[in-house]
Formats: sequence, structure tokens, C-alpha cells
Amino acid sequence: MNKEDYLFYGAYAPILEIAENTVLEQIDAILKKNVNEGVHNPAEYIISRVKSADSMKEKLVRKGMDTDVLSAIKQMNDTVGIRIVTHFIGDVYTISDYLKQSDAWTIEEIKDYISNPKPNGYRSLHIILKMPLHGSELDFLPVEIQIRTIAMDCWASLEHQLKYKKNIPNADLIATELKRCSDEIASTDLSMQTIREMLAK
Amino acid sequence: MKLLYAEDELQLSMAVSEILKIKQYEVDSVFDGTAAWEKLQTNTYDAVILDIMMPGLSGIEVTQKMRENNIDTPVILLTAKNETEDRITGLTSGADDYLGKPFAMGELLARIAVLIRRTAKPLKPSILQTGNISLNCETYELKSDCGSLRLSNKESELLALFLQSDEKLITSKEILSKLWEDQTDENAVDLYISYLRNKLKQIHSNYNIQNEENGFSLQAE
Repeated sequence: MNKEDYLFYGAYAPILEIAENTVLEQIDAILKKNVNEGVHNPAEYIISRVKSADSMKEKLVRKGMDTDVLSAIKQMNDTVGIRIVTHFIGDVYTISDYLKQSDAWTIEEIKDYISNPKPNGYRSLHIILKMPLHGSELDFLPVEIQIRTIAMDCWASLEHQLKYKKNIPNADLIATELKRCSDEIASTDLSMQTIREMLAK
Repeated sequence: MKLLYAEDELQLSMAVSEILKIKQYEVDSVFDGTAAWEKLQTNTYDAVILDIMMPGLSGIEVTQKMRENNIDTPVILLTAKNETEDRITGLTSGADDYLGKPFAMGELLARIAVLIRRTAKPLKPSILQTGNISLNCETYELKSDCGSLRLSNKESELLALFLQSDEKLITSKEILSKLWEDQTDENAVDLYISYLRNKLKQIHSNYNIQNEENGFSLQAE
């Protein structure tokens, strides 16, 4: 978090950081436990962030909500966000199963945009956790976990650039081509998963 | 339908061209073999009618040049020299049919129609549909109401086979010979079937590929 973010989140800033770190530690522990049991580590890398004040305010305005900090924390699921990136599509669901089994949190919602991609081609598995917050005025904090393959992650980063770039002269063409790329990537992800399963036999 | 007609006898050329046009063919008429070869290099035709005895290149030489350059448009040779030797030379040079002069116009028309019919590529619908899925055979897009995927060309060809199979058995051997020229390993078929099964499942298809004795079939789930 930068200075502006600390100003926006105020007294909640430390709580958000604790929540972020706690979830990260829990995920790390779950993965380590399974690796120790001889399973390969399904997570290639994990990143996390507290949503920046700028993008939080933009989102609140877009959704017609109050732009104060409590409104943000209570109504947004992705104030704290964690992204887990895998090599293979099967690993996405392995991690999802691990997270479901944990008693460190409860699962609020699962949105499977791999099985049901968004119309623009976005693919990812989103899990909203309810992270209990002991000793704070909030009982719990929602945390959004995004799990996807490296290929899907790469696609999402390109699509993200499109979203924030203004006045693209050939926007329709780019959108169509991005959608095609996503469908090709998803197809290749599935082919690689199939080969992987065949090798594991 | 577009035809190239090479004939050095002007009167005959005009008469035949006129009739072909009446029969709704688009006709390019040339009067020697060299002009015919020039036209063939820059135009695409549905069939070619070549007189054998022409100034410049002969009809047989034009045919040979076409085949050497991988132009496989059907060719009918016309000639006054209606002898067995010439027929053999004409046909072995790559011509598809042979008509001796003088010929009846009706017979020429019938032979052109046969050649075009025989060589026309079977019309393949570009979008194949079964259950809740559709496959675009040109873009390889596999689609359902739950999303879409882009298949590889081989996957698309294989799925097209199943979508046109009317739920009938397709053997592994059949798939191997239809999809690959130089692949003998039937494991390749199994791998591609696995790809398709997983991809059909991914888009929530209500049809999928089932194992059968010696092969596979597409069945409702």
C-alpha cells in the first residue's frame, strides 16, 4: 500500500494487511502440507494486493455506491485479492479443493469462469472466502482468490491493458482477436492437461 | 461455371463458344496453345477444352504443363486425329476425357457436365450442429451456450467426422487413414479422441465420444 492507500483505508489499513498475510500464510501451509505428502506443488506462484485507493474509488463510483472506506470494505469482495497461478488446468481445481477443505475460513462463493467463461473470453476460477477477523470491529473480511493457468494469466494481463486504454481505433477487431486467443489458449491448456494425464498413467 | 476453350478453327470456336454461353457457362476463348497456357496461369477454371492440333503449344503440351504445375482442372481434348494412339497419348498426358471431331454438341455438353460434377468438391456445410454444440469447420470454433474453444485443424476434422456420422461407429483405422497421411500409430487416434472428449466436456456438450468395439461413436450423454 502506498501513502494514498493508507490515507483512504485509515484505521482499517493494518487489518487489511493482516488479513492478506494470514490468508497467504494459510495457503502456503496447505500447499506445503500436501507437498510433504509427496504431491507436486500445484501453485507456480502466488501474488497478492490490497486494492489501491484509486481503483477502489473508481469501482465504487461505477457501481453507484458511497466512496467511504467502510462502504468499500463491507461491499467489495476484492479489497484483499490473491492470485494463484498454475502450470496446468487440473492444478487450478486441485488448489480449489484444498481451499474448500480448510477450516481457516468459510467459502462464500465460487465463480467458475473457466467452465463458464465471460463473453470477452476471461477465464479464471474465483473463490470468495470469508476470513474471520478476531479482535476487530469487523467480524470477517471477504477475500477474493483468483486461480488460473499461466496462459490464462497472460491473456488477462493483455485484456487488462485493453480495458484501460482509451481511443483504440480498431477496438472491435482487437476484442474479437482477444476472444479468439482466449479460446485457443483454453483449448491448448486442455490438450496439455490431457497429455499430462496420459503420461501419469 | 467458367470454361477455357482453345480452338484454332475460328468458325468452330465461335459456334461452340456461343452454345456454351447459352448453356450458362462463362467462356474464355483462345485460338492457340500458348494463349491457353497464359490464361491458365492467371485464371481459375472449372474445366478446360483443348484442341490437340493448335499453333504454338499443342493441346497435349498444354495439358502436360498444367499437370506439371499442379493445375488439376479437368481437361477434355478435341481432335480430328481420332486414333487409338492419340487417345492414349492424350489421356496419359493428364487429360480427363477425349472427344473426336466432328462431335455432336450435345455430347460435348454432357461430357463437360460429367467432368465438373466428378471433380467438384463435395459441398461441406461450414457449420455442423448436434445437440447443444456447433463446430465451424472454417474457423475450427467449437461452441455451446456455455462458451467456445478453438480446436486445432486435426481436432476439427475429427469432430466433423463424428458430427456427420449420425451416431454410427467410426473405426480407429478409418480415423487414422482419414486424418493422417503418414501416421500408423493408433495411439494418435486415442490421444485426439481424449482431447475432444475433454474439450466437449469443458463446454458442457450434451454429446460426447463413446468407446465402441474397434472404434468410437458420438452419443448423447
